[in-house]
Formats: sequence, structure tokens, C-alpha cells
Amino acid sequence: MKTIEELREQIAKTSYICGSCGSCRSVCPVYREIGWESSAPRRKIALAKEVFLKKKEKQATGQYAQRLQECTLCGKCAEICAAGIKTRELWLNLREDLRARGMEHQNLTQMALQVKTTHNISTFPNENRLDWVDDLDEVEVEVSKAGSEVAYFVGCVSSFYPMSAGISQSIVSLLDRANVNYTVLGSEEWCCGFPLLASGNSQQVLELAKHNVEKVRALGVKTLITGCASCYHTWTHEYPTILGEDLGFEVLHATQYLAGLIRTKQLEAGNIDETVTYHDPCDLGRNSGIYDEPRELLQAMEGVNFVEMPHRREMADCCGGGGNLAAVDKELSQAIAVKRVREAVATGATILTSACQQCVQTLQMAARQEKLPLEVLDVTELLWRSLEE
Amino acid sequence: MEQALREICGSRVTTDPFELAPYAKDVAYVPAILVHLLTNPLPKAVVQPISAEEISSLIKWAKQGKIPVTVRGGGSTAYFNCIPMKSGLVIDTNRLQGFSEIELDQGNQKKMVWVKAGMTWKDLDDGLRQQGCAVCSSPSSAPSATIGGWVSMGGLGIGSVPYGSVHDQIMAIRGVTATGEIVELSRPDKSPARNQGSEQSDLQFNDLMGTEGTRGIITEIKLLVRDVPEKEEHLLAIFNNATDTGVMMSWLGGEHFMSLYNVHFSSPEFMMSLQKAGYAHEIPPGKYSLEIDLEGKRDEVDQAVAHIRKQVKVLGGTLLPDGVGAEEWADRFKSLRLEQTLPSLLAAEMTLPVRNFAAFYERLSKLGQKTNTLCVTYAHLVSPDMALVMVLYPSDELNLIRYIVDLSFTSNLYKLGHRLGGKPYVIGFWNTPYLGKIYDKGERERRRQRKQAADPYAMLNPGKGYNPPNIILNSYVFGFAMIMIGLFRPMVLKILKGGKGQ
Ligand SMILES: Cc1cc2nc3c(=O)[nH]c(=O)nc-3n(C[C@H](O)[C@H](O)[C@H](O)COP(=O)(O)OP(=O)(O)OC[C@H]3O[C@@H](n4cnc5c(N)ncnc54)[C@H](O)[C@@H]3O)c2cc1C
Ligand code: SF4
Ligand code: SF4
Repeated sequence: MKTIEELREQIAKTSYICGSCGSCRSVCPVYREIGWESSAPRRKIALAKEVFLKKKEKQATGQYAQRLQECTLCGKCAEICAAGIKTRELWLNLREDLRARGMEHQNLTQMALQVKTTHNISTFPNENRLDWVDDLDEVEVEVSKAGSEVAYFVGCVSSFYPMSAGISQSIVSLLDRANVNYTVLGSEEWCCGFPLLASGNSQQVLELAKHNVEKVRALGVKTLITGCASCYHTWTHEYPTILGEDLGFEVLHATQYLAGLIRTKQLEAGNIDETVTYHDPCDLGRNSGIYDEPRELLQAMEGVNFVEMPHRREMADCCGGGGNLAAVDKELSQAIAVKRVREAVATGATILTSACQQCVQTLQMAARQEKLPLEVLDVTELLWRSLEE
Repeated sequence: MEQALREICGSRVTTDPFELAPYAKDVAYVPAILVHLLTNPLPKAVVQPISAEEISSLIKWAKQGKIPVTVRGGGSTAYFNCIPMKSGLVIDTNRLQGFSEIELDQGNQKKMVWVKAGMTWKDLDDGLRQQGCAVCSSPSSAPSATIGGWVSMGGLGIGSVPYGSVHDQIMAIRGVTATGEIVELSRPDKSPARNQGSEQSDLQFNDLMGTEGTRGIITEIKLLVRDVPEKEEHLLAIFNNATDTGVMMSWLGGEHFMSLYNVHFSSPEFMMSLQKAGYAHEIPPGKYSLEIDLEGKRDEVDQAVAHIRKQVKVLGGTLLPDGVGAEEWADRFKSLRLEQTLPSLLAAEMTLPVRNFAAFYERLSKLGQKTNTLCVTYAHLVSPDMALVMVLYPSDELNLIRYIVDLSFTSNLYKLGHRLGGKPYVIGFWNTPYLGKIYDKGERERRRQRKQAADPYAMLNPGKGYNPPNIILNSYVFGFAMIMIGLFRPMVLKILKGGKGQ
């Protein structure tokens, strides 16, 4: 892991590259809501340049810190950047620095304490990780089962929030239906650390990464699957860097794994007569490059009339729930989500799917708030429903 | 002030210094010492109107208090075009978004849309493509440049070879005059009868074409659009020298292929810099590359490709495998990747007759060698016989003295271009000393008169586009200063050892 000095040097170098062209501006969901130049990615970089390259420390004000934390880490600015800057990485480094300066948002400090205490982002003890299993009648979920081929890393949101339990229930039901020899970690599953990374707290993630990797290694599984896009990104992109070593097992997102099962006919999709669209989660799509498998699953279901939203794949808009934005500014996060569900409704879809527990939760709340005729589901939930119906 | 503005724009007003600061900056870095010597760029307030009515009220309010008004779109220009010279009010157009349904003109069968001034060219193109249409041309800053911004500038870019300047694609314009009237002006050569000209400020259609927000404020334009082409081909040809490349560019312009959409030149130095940053590896080092983009009917594209293949061969060039050109095209908005190897670039941009392109390039290379300056060049063909040429050279904004002496090199570049029929492309504030190189005396006088007629109280974007607003920017004084500073440049670069163009 880099020292804070190394990170600061990297920030300085990166900020020097930015040509202030503003290509990143109109794609940024946060700028599109706030509207003032100060919220545009290029302005945040310009301030970073003042602070880190030109050593004008006075520019690191409270307003600067607020703007840096008003970001969903969606990575759309990196996708379009005319100078090829890896802006998402830059935002994370800047948050590390904010934290080192003691300028982190208080809600994020609180959240870090929470994870330290319970090893998850909720206020529930980690022993409650499998409460969602209680509602499953026909499927038995075994914890740390020896000889399993696959481990399912559930993620905090669908472990603890009843609103999202349908995702974990669908995933285990599908694995069960396909006769996959799988297991879960139960209370030995700790938060993957993504919310901490997003608040510039990579130090604390080290402990979580070590624990989680050790527990999965001990199971001797070939494959780890996650239902959450951010968990997936953390396992595949962050853990190997943080730990400085290969994990020793394959990590797949649930949609990738299930698409494989469908391809080999180990699992067959059912029938759903609905018009369905798909929201690419930033951490699965743009930030991890997985676009096709969730779509493959949707198209495998008979009767599904699949329609795309104008902003999709690399240029998909964010749901508003990433980067801890809701903890920093809930209204801003909701405003972004509302735009996205409206875009979904405009396609004529009655069901909006995604492949991330956080996206589904955020979009569900927005659809309800706006009273839109739109059901929001995880792709895996819809797939399971197609088999149940 | 804030109270009055709030009455017009509600919460879309700011006077917070933290919010105002970015509106005193554009794409280019200019040392604070120069900025503060010559300008007062920090606005007193920024507003984000959502309608022509709000803009009209803002202008009327500003007129009462004699407050200068500067309009800002994407802020993607580099010559202080959208930065206030005398503080005042900045109108940020970014909340003027959206476009109308596509209309078909029954007379000429052309398609057009009304589009609001604050939309970016890329957003408009993306939106149109969902309906089977596309913009005819766009700047290579399309993700950031707004409709109003590009119309207020030169309007040349990708797609200008077949469609001309964006000014030629506008059928009508809605805007607000310098006295606060809301007007709709039709293209004079189309239907003058529809014109509702401005009574108080005498604003005319052409007053809003390329005049940098100095005569009126554009709120909406009626723009010609095209059907999404049946076929696209993106070829990448490489040549061994500037002469053959120049001949190829002239040939492409002269052949008048129906499907020739865009031609983009990159110098070997440009490619080398990109390659150092990990891009463009398919292009062999030391070559002069031309990306040739064809769009149109299938058979027209196929025929043009066949002809181009032959001509590339005749000139000793090579066409790179399919896919290389397509990749270059996909990255057409990413020219700044160059900054990964060369941050802090300075630039001169000019229009140049294509026939003189090779001569320009050769003299530029000599100048670069003589002055120990790495010149990185790219260019677009913007009409059959004209190219828009960008020459970039590295400096270091962290070193004030070096940066200031380096600024003088721009003047050498314009001189070199001028000798070969070139003209600086943009005026803004910093290029006012070069006005004489852009317009002859008669044209300068005509422009001055139009400004006077359209903006009698000199409220709109003062200091831009016309005679230099400051004695230091007078062409003689400025020219002399540049020569003197230029004399010191070799010495400064030697001392700093930064001028090796590495
Ligand atoms: C990477 C890059 C590539 C570029 N490529 C091109 C290119 O191919 N072709 C080209 O011409 N330029 C190019 N430019 C320069 C610039 O991006 C364009 O000129 C662009 O069109 C400016 O639009 P903007 O919205 O950013 O305008 P701004 O920079 O905001 O303003 C430009 C001028 O227009 C005025 N203005 C803005 N909106 C209005 C309005 N609604 N009414 C009246 N006046 C208004 C402003 O006052 C100002 O004088 C490039 C720049 C970059 C950084
Ligand atoms: S990551 Fe997304 S929200 Fe953050 S600055 Fe970039 S575009 Fe905006
Ligand atoms: S697109 Fe890239 S280079 Fe342009 S302003 Fe944004 S971060 Fe800077």
C-alpha cells in the first residue's frame, strides 16, 4: 500500500495532466444536479492541482472537502476524459488525503466505527448475517461446508436489509436449482470494505481483506461469487493490490456464474412476459468491464421484451447510490436516482433490473418516491421469478 | 445585487467566492501576474437562467447598473473568450437544455431541430442518434462545447469538409439582444420575411455567428441535421514525409468525394508523445498519419475507399489494417492524452490553405530545431482547401519565467503561418493583438460598426474580439514585447535546461 506522501505525489502528477477541457462535466451525475462549476470534475482537479502541485494548502477548505465527497465514484468522468486520466483512482486518493487531514465527513467516520465494531455496515451484530435464510422453505443454506466448489459472498446490503433479502434468496435458490455445490461464510463474512475504500480508509480495509481472503481460502473453493457489484470490484480489483498477492481462487459476479450455468444448460431460465430494461451498475460495468452476462440472463428468459436505456454500458448513468454519496448528501443521491428511473420508464419498461444490491435499493426507493409504474429487481431475482412462475 | 438576481433566477444565483472562482478560468493557464495586470476576471455573480425571458430580465437589470455581462457555455475555449475582463455578471448557459422534435422542411426536404444553447454537441448528437439522425458537424471538444459556444466561435471541426462551418447549418436563431429584447432571426438568405429583427439594438442574424458573445446572447438555434449515414469507413494512412501528406490532403479536398467526412493529420511528434503514454502503438514511429473518415451511402463510401487506396499507394504511403482507423475515430475527443507525456502545453491554432500545409510544416520543423522547441502538430481539413492547424509546444506552468518566455513563441508561430496565408483561428482576449492578421482594415471597421449597432452600451463581453482593450495588447507594443521576450528565450531555456523539447 502506498504511503500518504506517495499518494500526494501521485495526486500532484495526475492533476498536472488535466487540460481543464470540461469533457467530464456534462457526463457527471453530480454536476448535472448541482450545476455550479465547483461541482464539475475538472474544478475538483484544478483545486487538487493548487493544493498538491502548487502547495497552496489554504485551498483545502471545507467546501473543497464537501465537493470531493459529493461523488458517486461512478467513473463516467474517467471513461470520457480527453486526457485519459484515471479520475476514479484520483478521487479515491484525494479521499485518502482528506481523511489524513481529518476532513472526512462525519457520517463516514461514524460508518468506519460501525464496521470496526460489527464487521458490517449495519447496526446488527454480524451473527445476524444469515437472517434472510429463515424465509427460505425449500433451500438449505449451509455455512462453511467442507468440499464446496463455490462460495457465495452475500454482501452487507442483502444480508441485513430486508428490502434486499430477495437477492440473496434468489441467488441461493438458483444455485440450489442448478445443483451447485456451494456454501456461504455466515458470520465469518465481513464487510468487503468497499464503503471504507470509498471514504479514503484503505488502512482499515486491510484487516477486512485479510480476514475474508483467509476464510475463503480455508474453504478450498474454486470459485467465489458475489451478488454485489461493489463487492465484486473490491474482490477483483482492490484485494489483490491491497494484499499484494493473487487470491488463489476465481472471483465471479453472480450474473457471470449463472450465465455460465445457462450456457452449459445446468440451469434453464423460465418465462416472464414483461418489458424489461437493465441498469449497468458502475462497479460491474464501467469499472469492471462486465456488460454482457446480465443481458444474457435477461434474454435467456422467454417472454422478456428487453429494451435498452439510452445511457447504457460504458456510458450508463449512475444510480446515485455509489461512493457513499447518500451518507454525505442523501437528497443529491436521490435526485440522481430519480433521473435514472425516469429514463427507465421512458423506454416503456415495466421492470428495471440491475446486478447490484446497492443499485437496486437506491433505484427502488426512487421509483417509489416518484410513484412510477416500475418494479425494480435484481437480474437474479427476475431469473428466479421466471422459474417460479 | 444577489437579491435582485434572485428575483429573476431564484436559487440559480451565486455570489459565493468559492463558486465564483472557477468562472475566472478557462482551458488555458495564464500566470496570475499577467491576468491581474490586464484583467479583472472574477465575476461579482454567476447566474444560470432557464429561459430567454430570464436572460432578458438579467440584461435589462445589468444595463441599469452598467454591469458588464459575459456569457459562458462549456468554458472550453482558451483565450479568455468566456472570462470577464471587468468582473460583472456571468451568465452560465448550462441550464438551457434540450431539443425539439425533428422537423422536415417540405420545400428542400432538409431535417432540422430547435436546440437550446447550453446543450453540448455530444449530448445533442447522442439524442439525435436515438431518432436516426445526427449532427452534421461538431467540434473535437463536442463532449464539453455547447451549442451557443461553438456558434459564437469559428464553428469549424469534424464534418466541416462536407457541411462547412456550423454557421452555414443554422436556419434561425433565438436570442436576447444587448438591450434585453427577445428576438428570433432567420437566416437572411432563407426567408427574410420571417425576421423579427431587433428594433432597439439592430441585432442581425450574422451578428451572432462567431462573435464570441459580444453582440447578443443565443438561447436557441434551428439547426440542420442529417440522417445517420448508411456506412462509415475510417482509414488510417501513413506517409514518409510532410510533402506527400500535404499532397494527399490537397487531393482529398480536390476530389470532392461525396462521402469524405473528415481528414485528421497527426505529426510524428504527436504520435510519439501518445505512444510514450501507452497509446497508438499500431502507428510506426516517424510517420505522418492521416485519418480519413468517410460517411454516406454505401456505394459512395466504397468507391471513395477504392480511389483513396490507389492514391495512398501512388504517394508511397501505406494504409494501416482495418480497425486502426476506427480506433483513432473512437478516440477523436481524446487529443489531450498527449498531456500525459507533455503537461503544460502552449498552443497556436490557425486556419491555413491546404496547399501550403507541407511548406508550413517544414518551416515549422526548422523553427523548432533552431529554437530547441518540440512542436507537436495536428490538423483537420475544414474545407476542400483549408486546414485548421494546431501547433502545441511544451512549457512548464510551475516555472513562471520559463512560461512567460515560452508564450513569446506563439507569436513566432502566427508569423510563420501568416507568411503562408494562415490566420489565427480565435480572437478572444489574448489574441486581440493579432487582429490585423485576421481581418483587413475594412473588415475591422465593419466589425466595429456592427458591435456599436448591436451593443450600443458596450455591455456584452467587453474586451474581446475587437481592438485590443489595453495598450499593452496594441499590436505594435505587444509585437515588440514578444520580440524582446523571445530574445531571452534561448538563454532562459538553456539555464533551465528545460527547452530541449523532451
Ligand atoms: C480538446 C479541445 C478540442 C477543441 N476542438 C475544437 C474544434 O474542433 N473546433 C473549434 O472551433 N474549437 C475547438 N475547441 C475550442 C472550443 O472548445 C470550441 O470553440 C467550443 O465550441 C467552445 O464552446 P463552449 O461552450 O465551451 O464556449 P465557451 O468557451 O463557454 O465560450 C466561447 C465564447 O462563446 C460565447 N458564448 C458561449 N455561449 C454563448 C451563447 N449562448 N450566446 C452568445 N455567446 C456565447 C462566450 O462568451 C465566449 O466568447 C477545442 C477545445 C478543446 C479543449
Ligand atoms: S466519478 Fe462520477 S460522480 Fe464522481 S466526479 Fe466522476 S462522473 Fe462525477
Ligand atoms: S475530461 Fe479529463 S482533461 Fe478534460 S477537464 Fe475532465 S479530467 Fe481534465
